[in-house]
Amino acid sequence: MIPLVARVRASRGRRSFRLWIPLVVLWIVLLPVILLLLPVFGLACIVRGVRPFRALRSCWSLMNALSGTHIETANGTDSFAIIIH
Amino acid sequence: MPEHRREVLEMLANGRINADEAERLLAALEGTRAAAADVSPRKPKYLRVLVEGTENGSPLKANVRAPMDLLRAGVRLASLIPPQARAHVDEAMHEHGVHLDLKQIKPENLEELVDKLGEVSVDVDNEGMKVRVFCE
Repeated sequence: MIPLVARVRASRGRRSFRLWIPLVVLWIVLLPVILLLLPVFGLACIVRGVRPFRALRSCWSLMNALSGTHIETANGTDSFAIIIH
Repeated sequence: MPEHRREVLEMLANGRINADEAERLLAALEGTRAAAADVSPRKPKYLRVLVEGTENGSPLKANVRAPMDLLRAGVRLASLIPPQARAHVDEAMHEHGVHLDLKQIKPENLEELVDKLGEVSVDVDNEGMKVRVFCE
């Protein structure tokens, strides 16, 4: 399933912030742009010798696989984390 | 008919066991077979990389969890490289001393590689820097 929510946590010294990003809103906003760019994407794939439907399928499966990704780093008092649900 | 079942029925026919004992034996055998069938190796779902150490005196930590499906999807993307681009990539890698022929690498081999990654476990402990790579 496509990722729906992303959580971002960052802290630097005593300052920190947390962000909760509803990705589903982002996908809805980007959908018309993606639809408009699809023919351009298809043309670029054909020109480069890549099968467009296969490329689309691969991009789609890559996006679906992002759910569950968790990246967290900390260095001294600085830390950063991004969790994709 | 399974061999053990036949043996139990033969023992019953020969009078070595009675009907109750035969029934208990068959039930036990069925239970053992069902338990053995349920035990199947679980496919790992995530690749984990844990790093712990110190850098310039301050503690350093990294924790990465990537879904195995993400690796598979990435591998499938790599298989989209058109043949003419592969030649360029091969040439560039040869220049840097990496003698690898991308034409020989098939998508199914890469998929198998990602599947086998589940059995990989790396533990490195060097001068206070610990790195662990494993699948769960």
